[in-house]
Amino acid sequence: MRMSLAQRVLLTWLFTLLFLIMLVLKLDEKAPWNWFLIFIPVWIFDTILLVMLIVKMAGRCKSGYDPRNGSQNIKKKAWYLIAMLLKLAFCLALCAKLQQFTEMKLVYIFIPLWALLVGGMIELGYNIFYVRRD
Amino acid sequence: MLFSLRELVQWLGFATFEIFLHLLALLLFSVLLVLKVDGGGGGGAGLSWWKVFIPFFAADGLSTYFTTIVSVRLFQDGEKRLAVLRLFWILTILSLKFVFEMLLCQKLVEQTRELWYGLIMSPVFILLQLLMIRACRVN
Repeated sequence: MRMSLAQRVLLTWLFTLLFLIMLVLKLDEKAPWNWFLIFIPVWIFDTILLVMLIVKMAGRCKSGYDPRNGSQNIKKKAWYLIAMLLKLAFCLALCAKLQQFTEMKLVYIFIPLWALLVGGMIELGYNIFYVRRD
Repeated sequence: MLFSLRELVQWLGFATFEIFLHLLALLLFSVLLVLKVDGGGGGGAGLSWWKVFIPFFAADGLSTYFTTIVSVRLFQDGEKRLAVLRLFWILTILSLKFVFEMLLCQKLVEQTRELWYGLIMSPVFILLQLLMIRACRVN
């Protein structure tokens, strides 16, 4: 069953709003919570997305599925999975840095985000220049 | 992933090229941020916060320019209602984003307690409500 656009927007909106409220409380020193707790809406949202993605990918293993239909689709799904893992890695590393669990340099924390952004831009660039030319 | 590109374009009202522009700005901003924070003795140490935020300001400016051109073309083609609606929506979004960036930058430069993060984030909260309303309309 596919969620409607409004349902998906509501899900995104709710978790973003919760995260921003908790972030403001932490930054204004109204809530002396751990940074990992502040990121709880992000963890929940990412888990939901990961589960949805894995369920969709696992659907290919069902009997009666014709693999000829979706060779392009599985590549896209694999990229989405990698993108989610990169985002999760960035958030975890950022939390660890903010909580001072590690003395890692900021450049190493940002590497997953840069990979994610470059990947996203390549996909968008493909959509702008290549698909339009077709 | 959760949204297709077509849905994103419909929902946000931005063209694909503008989304690309804002992603590029985020990438450049994060590089400058790392240079500023990790700078040490390198070239990044001398960067002021205003310079770190330049990619965002440039993206906002370019996006406004692009939107103005598209709206003028739409107006010339007789799509007056669409042109005005598009211009009004994008300018609202971009102004809210710009105010947030200005306030955040000022806070980082001056570190004053009068400028609290709830106030800085208020344009983002307004933006979220507007996006939710637009999603209901698009749906």
